[in-house]
Amino acid sequence: MNSRYYFNDTSAQKSDEQIKNLSLQNLIKNSSPFLGNMSAPITIIDFSDFQCYLCNRYVKNTEPIINQTYVQTGKVALVFKHLPNRGFDSMGAALAAQCMNDQEKFWQFHKLLYANQKPIDSGWVSKENLKKFALQIPGLDIKQFDSCFDSEKYKSFVQKDIDLGLSSGFKETPSFIIENSDGSNPEFLAGALPFPSFKAVIEKKISGS
Amino acid sequence: MREEKKTPIPSSKRLLLILSFKMVFSTWTYIIFAVATTVTFWIVSSIFDQLLFFYPIVIFYLPDDALVGFILVNITAIILGIVVSMNIYVFRHSKMKINITSFFSGSSLSVISSTCASCSSLGFFLISTLGAAGVTASSFVSNYQTPLRLLSIALLIWAYYSISSKITKSCIMNSSNSSK
Repeated sequence: MNSRYYFNDTSAQKSDEQIKNLSLQNLIKNSSPFLGNMSAPITIIDFSDFQCYLCNRYVKNTEPIINQTYVQTGKVALVFKHLPNRGFDSMGAALAAQCMNDQEKFWQFHKLLYANQKPIDSGWVSKENLKKFALQIPGLDIKQFDSCFDSEKYKSFVQKDIDLGLSSGFKETPSFIIENSDGSNPEFLAGALPFPSFKAVIEKKISGS
Repeated sequence: MREEKKTPIPSSKRLLLILSFKMVFSTWTYIIFAVATTVTFWIVSSIFDQLLFFYPIVIFYLPDDALVGFILVNITAIILGIVVSMNIYVFRHSKMKINITSFFSGSSLSVISSTCASCSSLGFFLISTLGAAGVTASSFVSNYQTPLRLLSIALLIWAYYSISSKITKSCIMNSSNSSK
């Protein structure tokens, strides 16, 4: 496996079809990791990179409050999309995380990587270290994970996430789409916004629906 | 033999710095220039650092991980305001030309390095524009944010010292010319 990547933006053409296919049902059917209730009226799609320190800021400061206030109460479902644009090692981290989703361990791995985040491309998410992180996930079938990760099973999946991020006009991570669960009325937000910013959009959507 | 009356020359460097500061900021115009520069730089840096947001609501937010950077940006903004204002003073009052090399290597480089310390949020732009070189540049500015900011403060202090010397030198020359 080539351990160094950077994505190309040749497929950055706006695709209306991609935007239309953002219903929660479709996202889950297409193997996107998600948190929350499938009947939640609002969906937040989070485009992040495991090497991005601003994504880490969002994960540490904002996501727990969103989770507690809206996800646990069934109002919002949180979906993760990969936008590995920060360094050469970012794609490897995205592939490993997506392989974790096969065994429903994505969010544990997500938490573990952000808790151990180090400077970009310092080797902390090299292929070897990603496998070491995988060993720390309880109940994980390591053989299945290694097979998925070594074969780059989700490379085209991650590339589709990147294409979706670019077609949505995102130029930085983290970026978010907040929409109704059927994919309608999307609102695009960029940056590691604090909780009150999310609250303003979510409450507006809840009161409008 | 008649003793020549000499203009007192401040001997220590500290006095030079204080004297030049007092000369410039005794006029409201330069205080306004300094405040405007400081506020503008502070707002731009806070936007780049993702501390200040205008959409969907206007909000300023200071998480723990941003505290050190925020303190350094505040220091940079204040010194930058002073240095820019002093450069304008020299430009308007002195017959001497501003030393372009000094100005660019001091004030401008400080602005660039400090802003670039925050430009990691432009990772995608750098990557799509410059490819692999952009990835390296983006990760460099992200990983070395704090040292870059410290460097910019050091450069600004040097620029302040440099411009202070110019202001007091021209003042001493003027006063010795007028005493002849």
